[in-house]
Amino acid sequence: MKTNFYKNPSKGAVVLGLFFLMTIIATSFQSCADLDPDPLEFNLPPESFGSLEEMDKGIIGVYRRVTQSARMTTFYAPAWGGDDMTTHRALNKADFREFDQRAVLSSNSRLLTNWNAIYSSLSTINGVLERSEGLIDNPAVDQTLLLQYRGEAYFLRGILFYQLARVHGRIPLTLTQFPPPDISRGTLEEVYSQIEADLLEAEATLPDIYPNVEAGAPRPNSGSARALLARLYMDWGGYPIKDASKYTLAASSAKTVMENASSHGFGLMDDVGDLWKVENRFNQESLFTLVYCTTAEGCPNNSIANRKFARLGLPADLGGWNETFAEIKFFQDFPEGHRKDVTYRTDLDWEGFNAQKSPVFAKVTGPIGDLNAGSFETPRNDFFMRYASILLIYAEASGLSGNVTDESWEALNKIRRRAAGLPYGTPDPSVDVTSGVIEDLAFEERKWEFAGEYIRWFDLVRREKVKEALSVRDIPDAPIPEHNPIIGSLETTNYLAPIPADAVAKNPNLAN
Amino acid sequence: MFFRSTFFLGLLLLFTSFHEANAQQKISGTVVDEAGMSVPGANVIVQGTTTGTVTDFDGNFSLNASSGDVLVVSYVGYLNQSVTVGNATSITITLKEDAAQLDEVVVIGYGTAKKSDLTGAVAQVTAKSFEDQPLVRVESALQGRASGVTVAGSGAPGKGIKIRVRGVNSMTGNNDPLVVVDGVFGGDLRTINPNNIASMEVLKDASALAIYGSRGSNGVILITTKKGSGKAKVSIDQFLTISNVNRRISSLSSSQFARQENAEFIANPVNDPADAPYSDARIAELEANPLKYQDLMFQTGYTNNTQISVSGSSDDKLRYFLSGNYMDQKGTQITSNYKRYSFRSNLSKEFNDKFSVAANVTASREITKNDQDAFGTADGSSILRAITWDPTAPVRDENGEYILRSPREVANNNYNPIRRLELSDHQVTSDRLNITLNGKYNITKNFSYTLIGSVSTINGITESMRVEGDYDLIGFNNINFRNFRSTSHQVSNILNWNKAFDKHNIDITGVYEFQGNRTINNNYNTTDQNVYGFYHTDNGTTENFDNNGSQTAIESFLARAQYNYNGIYYLTASIRQDESSRFPEDNRTGYFPSGAIAVNLAKFEFIENSPLSILKFRAGYGEVGNQSINALAAFSLNNQGGFWSPNGGGTILSGEEQTTRGNSNLTWETTKQTNIGLDFGFLNGRISGSIDFFNKDTENLLIQRLVPGSTSITEFVNAGEVNNKGVDFSLSADIIQKSDFNWNANFNLSTLKNEVTSLYEGLDFITGNVNSIGGQGIKLDVLKVGEPIGTFWGYKALGTWKSTDDIPVDSDGAPVAQPGDERFDLDPDNNNERKLQTIGSGLPTLTWGFNNTFTYKNWDLNIFLNGAHGFDVYNLVRGTLRTNGGNRSYLATDANSRWTPENETDIPKAGSANLLNTSRWVEKGDFIRLSNLKVGYTFSEDAIKGIQNLQLYASGQNVFLITDYSGYDPEVSSQVRTNNGAASNADSGAGIDIGAYPNPVSFTLGLKVTF
Repeated sequence: MKTNFYKNPSKGAVVLGLFFLMTIIATSFQSCADLDPDPLEFNLPPESFGSLEEMDKGIIGVYRRVTQSARMTTFYAPAWGGDDMTTHRALNKADFREFDQRAVLSSNSRLLTNWNAIYSSLSTINGVLERSEGLIDNPAVDQTLLLQYRGEAYFLRGILFYQLARVHGRIPLTLTQFPPPDISRGTLEEVYSQIEADLLEAEATLPDIYPNVEAGAPRPNSGSARALLARLYMDWGGYPIKDASKYTLAASSAKTVMENASSHGFGLMDDVGDLWKVENRFNQESLFTLVYCTTAEGCPNNSIANRKFARLGLPADLGGWNETFAEIKFFQDFPEGHRKDVTYRTDLDWEGFNAQKSPVFAKVTGPIGDLNAGSFETPRNDFFMRYASILLIYAEASGLSGNVTDESWEALNKIRRRAAGLPYGTPDPSVDVTSGVIEDLAFEERKWEFAGEYIRWFDLVRREKVKEALSVRDIPDAPIPEHNPIIGSLETTNYLAPIPADAVAKNPNLAN
Repeated sequence: MFFRSTFFLGLLLLFTSFHEANAQQKISGTVVDEAGMSVPGANVIVQGTTTGTVTDFDGNFSLNASSGDVLVVSYVGYLNQSVTVGNATSITITLKEDAAQLDEVVVIGYGTAKKSDLTGAVAQVTAKSFEDQPLVRVESALQGRASGVTVAGSGAPGKGIKIRVRGVNSMTGNNDPLVVVDGVFGGDLRTINPNNIASMEVLKDASALAIYGSRGSNGVILITTKKGSGKAKVSIDQFLTISNVNRRISSLSSSQFARQENAEFIANPVNDPADAPYSDARIAELEANPLKYQDLMFQTGYTNNTQISVSGSSDDKLRYFLSGNYMDQKGTQITSNYKRYSFRSNLSKEFNDKFSVAANVTASREITKNDQDAFGTADGSSILRAITWDPTAPVRDENGEYILRSPREVANNNYNPIRRLELSDHQVTSDRLNITLNGKYNITKNFSYTLIGSVSTINGITESMRVEGDYDLIGFNNINFRNFRSTSHQVSNILNWNKAFDKHNIDITGVYEFQGNRTINNNYNTTDQNVYGFYHTDNGTTENFDNNGSQTAIESFLARAQYNYNGIYYLTASIRQDESSRFPEDNRTGYFPSGAIAVNLAKFEFIENSPLSILKFRAGYGEVGNQSINALAAFSLNNQGGFWSPNGGGTILSGEEQTTRGNSNLTWETTKQTNIGLDFGFLNGRISGSIDFFNKDTENLLIQRLVPGSTSITEFVNAGEVNNKGVDFSLSADIIQKSDFNWNANFNLSTLKNEVTSLYEGLDFITGNVNSIGGQGIKLDVLKVGEPIGTFWGYKALGTWKSTDDIPVDSDGAPVAQPGDERFDLDPDNNNERKLQTIGSGLPTLTWGFNNTFTYKNWDLNIFLNGAHGFDVYNLVRGTLRTNGGNRSYLATDANSRWTPENETDIPKAGSANLLNTSRWVEKGDFIRLSNLKVGYTFSEDAIKGIQNLQLYASGQNVFLITDYSGYDPEVSSQVRTNNGAASNADSGAGIDIGAYPNPVSFTLGLKVTF
């Protein structure tokens, strides 16, 4: 085809201009593929800590992780096996019902979620321990502070192993950030020994009292570690290992804590009902506190709010989530008095609920008017262990180790007095006991003292009293029968929960 | 045969030289278009000479020529027309518009090819095949029209539609094909006005895809937008659609449910029948005026689509296509809405035969309101909530106030689903601008340089206030503002050299290209603001904000050579080198080679004499890559923003924790694909088709997994293999070709077998990440060796345990179930627990489409059917109707058929636990759909003065659906989520129905006018 190219001068200029532009694009923009990411835009973890400041961030990361792992009822789901608590008969509470009805499957998703959450925390803890090894004996680093930080890590690792060992018995003991994928479960002896070793290491390196923290050991002290040891030995003496020699250690450990209580800042609250008020979420009775907060307290968001309380303990009639209910017979058997009034919401007509006719725990919903009933995110703290437990462990272990003294009875009586609304330090013949089988009396006292605190089930296990308690869970011919009948075995063979099927699928060694 | 063609060529040359010798004379004539209008500026040339002229304003020309000369008339946008001069001195030459231009040329990426020259598997969908269907979405145009391409729609307005090319490769990554619009990567089909599309090509096999290298593994959709041609014309396309969801899921009516509740109450001997929850009067009232929550959840939707375009070309070869589109779609779920405004300007100018420039500018705005998935779906979608809502509780009480919860705490445990949608305002606005410049310079006749430069930007904002619960409670509303920005650039330099040496045709393309993208997110949210709307929400008590940005880049070289010998033997080879910022430096370079051959058998003598007019054999092999991981996948990362407060709020300490582990060996995922195909045609192409067999092995899959042994730290690894194999078949026929009656039919069919062939660490299966509903951590999917991606995971249901059954016991001797309980396949190796196993697959193994166009005089009729087969749907809606998943009451109509000691049916007894993750809720999803039925009338050209073309039509979409599926629609899948609330891989969660937004039945009236 024939055309005149530059007939029109202005057109020629346009062509030339465009061609020039194209040439500029073609030549000058030809190397702007930037293939290396800018490291300032993301957060690379250090291979090892260069300073205590870096380690401090790591330790805070550990606390956050542990706090998050424990903030939902999932952390305590196995405790629904106790005769103190139950859940909604239908709805999405199937996982809790499996524990409540003693038919726990390896597919139980709370079991898996909790398993994963705890091993994630352990991985974070081990990462901090590994990364801080390079700081040991470094003259530029304050070794006392370093050991204190490491002591916190050991403490948290010990209590997490303990939390899981109570549920599953033999568990894999992961001691590195990236554990071997084919790790096997330790023997029961290995598991309990590891927990003991971690807590002993923590006790040796933690201060008597952690500086600049609130009451209740939100960062553990050496007394917290010893208290947990007392509890560990108590379990060690019972099912499944049943090494009765440990009861002596339990008693002596409890005694150590009692004797040094003031140096650790530990003691009983005067009124047991005050424990469950938000204003007392930091208190001397807590031997180790998992701290939560909401935006109302000044936290930036609700990601570490406690999701176990308030709304979760109420029926849908009251805007609740129908998750944590009290069992009827336990409620009715509960000795009348001050402690019952602060344990349950006796103001509510539970028999008139539509959602489910179950009594309500005040320990879960909070005292009347204390927590926003419509909230599932609360600032309530978890008292991982209470001083009351140390006293009752002392009483029970004294009996089980055959070394009952006046102090043993006094320890038990302090709790009984307080339960009746009396000053715990003043002997009162109306409630005090000084004779009988102290280990059984202390065990019975724990039943009421710790009702609804996710403890009863584990007490039943260690003393092998599951069948005794759960076979009489229903009141015969009651107008309102218990909602989730027992369908599984109550024998010891059904005490421990299976390893989650999903974990076994990933690591078949866990099947053995 | 070669001898013969050479002989003819020689003869032709001889004739031309004879003609040269003839005497010349003055010839004059007129060039007109098909409408008889004169065409000014057309080139008229005497073939084989430099003699020529240009028509004047009235289309007239005159020149000197001999009677044997051939005049060639050309004009942009029209087919070249050749006329032998003969003895006439005055000639009228009619130019035909080049509508077929794109039918013959196939876009293959960085160039075009004649369809007959293709060596790879490319499916082409031209505007012609979908202009009969009123479309608001480009994806719908692909559905059932391109073999090997599966499209799973959604009824939700403005919702992403899933497109898969030849199956799915990636187990945890994204399987969306790459969309390339006019040579520019990364288009979003949703924002493109279907009316602007001239053609779409889907590159399917690796030999065609390898030129897209690292982004080719999921297939590539090439979109070519329209260009103007010919006289200026203005087209208006307007349609109005009315849509309805007509199906209803059967459940107990209000009065049936009330009676059932009363019966349950009275059955308990401790209750006094006088206290029964529903009085006779109330039941009578419910009988007369039943509450139908499905009716309340759905509404009549309408779509108003207006499009205007102006197009044409001027004398000096400026082609223009300007188009504006406004679409307003009111969804069939209450309060859902989608609006789209889009504008496109395609300008191109040929300055001379060496240099041309094109500029395409597009801008669009989309506004989506109350998208179903923007709301919490932990207990299923709003639709599922409505289906299982207390049918005796009205939306509002006698005072006109919303009823928040079921007053008797029965049926669904959540808040009123109608109120939720009516009070919430979740709006996402997304603005896009793309500017693409394309310059081409022909250095010589055979050698050209093309430069494509493109910049695009997306600005999106989310303004959201979602209301869920009681104003007195915590968490009753959630306010969110999100700002999203993405900017991308692309520069492609394309050199092309092609030449024919005798019978050897060579075409070589070389490309240097780089692209970059930066995205930035700013997010703010707060909760529990007791205000009327989003704009009243200032200073919330909880304030969270987070910002993140990421940057990626890729730099590439590409070479492709195409050779054919005399149109008989074809050979294509290509190699692309990509360097991606997503991989560590040592592994970031990937090479993606391909090769293909084709033999045009029709040129052989034994075929030439048969009814076969087309017969071409193709075979190709290639390797393509995938880099669909996030920008920093190769690095170890700490989380950010983690805090802890030792004193419960006063002191905020920030902590860090490792969340991902880096992988310095991370590299490309590679798909190796072999394709063998055959193109055939009979009766001069009246019947034509092709069949392709493919086998794809994807290796070194980019998988995000937990570090083995870890329960929280993730890493990206190259592990695992997936195989896809199948057959794509397409057949097109002009069945009837009469002067006033035509029937054209297109049929295509694709089969697919997808299989995970290996995982990592010797694992046989990995539990997936798709969460079930009702707050349960149960996963609904699995990746299992030997099974397809998207395999359902759950228990195998076997009816009920009968009183005569010997019910197995657990290790403690307790029976695992009671008579009347649901019976499952048990695992004797695991304490007789229910055995988790594969119970179905959501991935269709056969899809097809059948498109028919009939024209009779001025009438036309389009019938488009499509179907998908060989897949299952995990119908959690049906499960939830029978309690669980947030529902407390048995609402299914089979309540009276439940197991009793007297009547031992296979439906579990009342009160027995109902599980959602069982094969009981897995149904066949096979369906056949009449997607489009359209009748149109086109007025004769001269019927109305001044109007070139006028068409009126009426159309029905989704006119009928044949399926055994008991839910609304087996084709739509719910968006399902993982543990942390993120949307899961759409293919792992394929076929899961937790109340998915169904495709509505629609009726459309439309009008197309061209002036």
